[in-house]
Amino acid sequence: MKITDLFERGEFAVSAEVGPPKGIHIEEMIEDAKKYLGGVDAINVTDCQSSVMRVGSLAVCKELKDAGMNPIFQLACRDRNRIALESDLLSAAMFGIDNVLALTGDHTKMGDHPQAKPVFDLDSVSLLHTMCVLESGKDLGGNDLVGEPPKFAKGAVVSPCSDSVDAQLVKMEKKIEAGAEFFQTQAVFDSEKFIRFMERAKQFGKPVMLGIIIPKSAGMCKFMNNNVAGISVPDSILEELKADKEKTKAGITGVEIAARIIRECKPYCQGVHIMSLGWESKIPSLLEQSGLAR
Amino acid sequence: MNYTKYALKDNEELKSLLASSDDLFVVACNKCFKEFETVNEPDCDTFVQLASEQGRKITGTVKVDFLCNKLLTEKKLKDMIPEGTKNVAVISCGLGIQTVAELEEVPVLAAANTLNYTGNHGMALTEKTCGACAQCYLNLTGGICPVVDCSKGLLNGQCGGAKDGKCEVDPKKDCAWEKIYQRLEKQGRQKEFLEEPVQLRDYSRVDVKAISEYVKKIRDVRLSGYNGGAHPEENKELAENLPLKKFPEPETVVIPLSMHVGKPAVPVVKAGDTVKLGQKIAEADGFVSSNIHSSVSGTVVAVEPRKHPNRGMVESIVIRSDGKNTTDESVRPNKPLEELSPEEIVDIVKEKGITGMGGAGFPTFIKLKPGKPIDTVLLNGCECEPYLTADHRVLLEYADDVIYGLKAIMKAVDAPKGIIVIEDNKPDAIALLQSRTEGLDNIEVQTVRTKYPQGAEKTLIKNVLKRLVPSGGLPADVGTVVDNVSTAVAISDAIQKGMPLVERAVSVTGEHIANPGNYMVKIGTSVKALIDYCGGITGEDVTVKMGGPMMGFPLTDEEVPVIKGTNGVIAIDTDHTKEEECIKCGRCVDVCPMELAPLNFAKYVKEGDAQALLDNHIRDCFECGCCQYICSSKIPLVERIRTGKKMIMEVK
Amino acid sequence: MLITELKSKEEILSLAGEKAFIINCLGCKEIYFPEKEAKELQKELSDAGRVTGILTTDYICNPDNMKLRLQAYLEQIEEADTVLVFSCGVGVQTVADFLEDKKVCAACDTIRLPGFQGVTPTEVDCGQCGECYLNLTGGICPITACSKSLVNGPCGGTKDGKCEVDPSMECGWERIYRRLEKLGRLDVLRFPTQMHDFSTDEVTKECKES
Repeated sequence: MKITDLFERGEFAVSAEVGPPKGIHIEEMIEDAKKYLGGVDAINVTDCQSSVMRVGSLAVCKELKDAGMNPIFQLACRDRNRIALESDLLSAAMFGIDNVLALTGDHTKMGDHPQAKPVFDLDSVSLLHTMCVLESGKDLGGNDLVGEPPKFAKGAVVSPCSDSVDAQLVKMEKKIEAGAEFFQTQAVFDSEKFIRFMERAKQFGKPVMLGIIIPKSAGMCKFMNNNVAGISVPDSILEELKADKEKTKAGITGVEIAARIIRECKPYCQGVHIMSLGWESKIPSLLEQSGLAR
Repeated sequence: MNYTKYALKDNEELKSLLASSDDLFVVACNKCFKEFETVNEPDCDTFVQLASEQGRKITGTVKVDFLCNKLLTEKKLKDMIPEGTKNVAVISCGLGIQTVAELEEVPVLAAANTLNYTGNHGMALTEKTCGACAQCYLNLTGGICPVVDCSKGLLNGQCGGAKDGKCEVDPKKDCAWEKIYQRLEKQGRQKEFLEEPVQLRDYSRVDVKAISEYVKKIRDVRLSGYNGGAHPEENKELAENLPLKKFPEPETVVIPLSMHVGKPAVPVVKAGDTVKLGQKIAEADGFVSSNIHSSVSGTVVAVEPRKHPNRGMVESIVIRSDGKNTTDESVRPNKPLEELSPEEIVDIVKEKGITGMGGAGFPTFIKLKPGKPIDTVLLNGCECEPYLTADHRVLLEYADDVIYGLKAIMKAVDAPKGIIVIEDNKPDAIALLQSRTEGLDNIEVQTVRTKYPQGAEKTLIKNVLKRLVPSGGLPADVGTVVDNVSTAVAISDAIQKGMPLVERAVSVTGEHIANPGNYMVKIGTSVKALIDYCGGITGEDVTVKMGGPMMGFPLTDEEVPVIKGTNGVIAIDTDHTKEEECIKCGRCVDVCPMELAPLNFAKYVKEGDAQALLDNHIRDCFECGCCQYICSSKIPLVERIRTGKKMIMEVK
Repeated sequence: MLITELKSKEEILSLAGEKAFIINCLGCKEIYFPEKEAKELQKELSDAGRVTGILTTDYICNPDNMKLRLQAYLEQIEEADTVLVFSCGVGVQTVADFLEDKKVCAACDTIRLPGFQGVTPTEVDCGQCGECYLNLTGGICPITACSKSLVNGPCGGTKDGKCEVDPSMECGWERIYRRLEKLGRLDVLRFPTQMHDFSTDEVTKECKES
């Protein structure tokens, strides 16, 4: 099912995210997804996230789909040239995987194979454009596709709390021009910043899904503040997490914070995207507390 | 072969660019890395014509050499862009376009695409290129590059695409791996290749951060003090620790009447006369000239033309020494410095025949009457020429005389301050002079970076005082006087002992001198005697030069005398190269401390264009030789520039 | 412009074989050459009696002059198992071509420096991509100023205006944005989606041949 159908119907969409393992045994991951992610509309499968080599995104999407779930295929430009990207897009469509999130991808130097050649033949914008070209029945080389062309729900990302919001907005606009139909955002911890961003982004008229990470500890938040682009956790949240260590450790505080952010931002966006980072088990209670349980 | 770096964008793209811009100023770069065909090569015409057809107004055009050289481009374009210009169109490679864009005055249009080369070329125009992959594989492949020469950059052998030994991508191109196999086979190294482990390229080896830091550092060096300069191998270790020794008394001295800038002196002795040490034997002729004194006591055997180190046959006074060194009556101490008036100091310097001892030989007394207020005297102890160590030894062994001489110069020109400038490759001299000048409020020692030509007058002033001597001007125009440390010692001797300039410190060095050394040598001593005393010349294929390797001149005959400006005699390897066509690599522009473009001088000399030489400030060149040293085509640029200067004189 | 750095000492020592003839190229020394380190290493080899001769010269990439200079050393080269060249890759290839029967080894790895002219390395760089983007980017090259050479805007990896790959490097697209903002030309960024054409070397070939 295309996630864009929900937006068209005016529904508030919820997605979550799973990261494939470094290895071929994904049974546990599928079981967890079945157990905890029943309440979401779609599941992103990351594509060698942070440039760390893992089992393939497309293969895991297929497994999820076979298990009855609705995957969003994340596709990064770091590791493939345009031939491989187009080919993988066709493969996805062949499997009936029609939600694709176009990403540029972290640089190879950020991951566990720093020696690798960074490809970046295309980038997120031109990848979105490529999907449109395929949808028109052609490939980038100008050749005709055989038979019915594929149809994608074309997603992209944006970083609302980036310190260079101006440049981000320009890029967002370019993505839309290139064909982006919906956006998922980098994790938001500062509702005000997000709301300010949405006030500028709403002119584009494209659905935006608020990115959420359930904060696990003050240490984790500090680490993200220092190392992860586009994330800034306000001091007030750090204080909250420090207040009752036991409660934080149990995930209660984190879920409270995340639910509060969702409630504050919900009127300004069209969906939520939850990056659980191993805390899939907390997702049901998060949905409950933020009023998104069905 | 030609590494032209850009091509005009196609008409369609240019038209769409022009659609949204008007009032254009066009800047085009004279292409580099190609044979130097005409002086103004690229043509703005095609672009200008297209723009005019589109009804666009052109406010002006300019063609520039090495647009990527920010320092020079900034100066050239300053005040050049006419008022009312809304866009600057740049026809250049990406470097030139970005350099202009950085000036950020008006929006810049890139009118050209930079050509996409596989691999980077060296400094010569050859077919060979290098991928700069930071992990050289040439050791495994018999010296043929698999990264560049193989279309796929394969590292572990041939792919299946080769047909008739040609590449599948380009049937005109030899399969690199075919060539590699052949070469390895020829060298019997296939087995070695088979035993090599599987090669995986490491793309993280190119460390962007390290490179950008390095670029910053090297730019600092290139621009520190003055533009460019060079770092030729110093080779000072051959003689720098050898103390100055008195050179044995010569049997005969040949003293040319022309050892200075200006008119030759007029002899006041004749054959048969008896002369004493320090006796005046020739008198200055006119203002720019210098007295000459005997460096021995003995008999004048001839006044006749003799071979001069670099001026051909020159009238000279030949004296046979009696070995006694009987001193002339005129050699007696003057009043102490405190009691001498500035005029008296200048008179002593003039009378005692002191000329600049750094090489050029300008009569020193003239510098001491600048006719303009002087605030600082710079004493040049840089000795930036490779090999030479005479000034270094003078600093170490005559420190107090150096300081005395400096004080005398400061008094003569009424300068409140004196600075002794020494390159940082002479830490012992710096420490000594610092300790000897301790407590002197008006004299300081300044250390400068070792970089040739640090000790040239204009670069020294620019570096130390941050003042720019105007084109065609003198140091006095910016309130300073520059003298060499050996000159200061000569002044000290002249005042304190009354001894004229009759001997000087000379380095005899180079890898082909058997026993290098530093000597106090009497003026007129033969260079051959000097070389013989140092054990003669070793090896074959040797070039003997008077002075350093950069500004010294080759001696075809060693039977020439040591003169007032002789700071060294060196015997070095002859470099066998032949001059090739200029390829506009731009190195000479990059190293020129006067920010000139030496390659153009060679071109204009060839074309006989004296006006262009003048317009491009050939007279600002002081012949430091950096351009010739760095020239990748081995063009004798200094010789060309000298010819050019003569051309100008003739035209006048 | 190319610069060189020495390979590891162990590697050079093993390349040298029993007897080596050494060639140093100082042509690009004003830009960079690891002169001191190379000298030390060569002295060590020399003291061990493993060097048949050393030729220190410049611009060995110039085949004509290189030949002239090598003439005087042919005997010493003959004596050696390996000719060890301390230069950029172009120099090594030139020597290897001339001494076809000899094992010629590179003692250095070669790295590209920004600015490929003969002049001082510049802060600006050009990737020679063959399809100049500077009109779209306020004159700042996205190919070289962005770690990923992105041509459609910044990635999400910018932190405090710095690049995710190198936090001491400014984000190229941030610079582009600021430059255009300053010039009042932000509208320029509304260019259509760009895709890098990697086949422009054909144009280069044509220009070189014409």
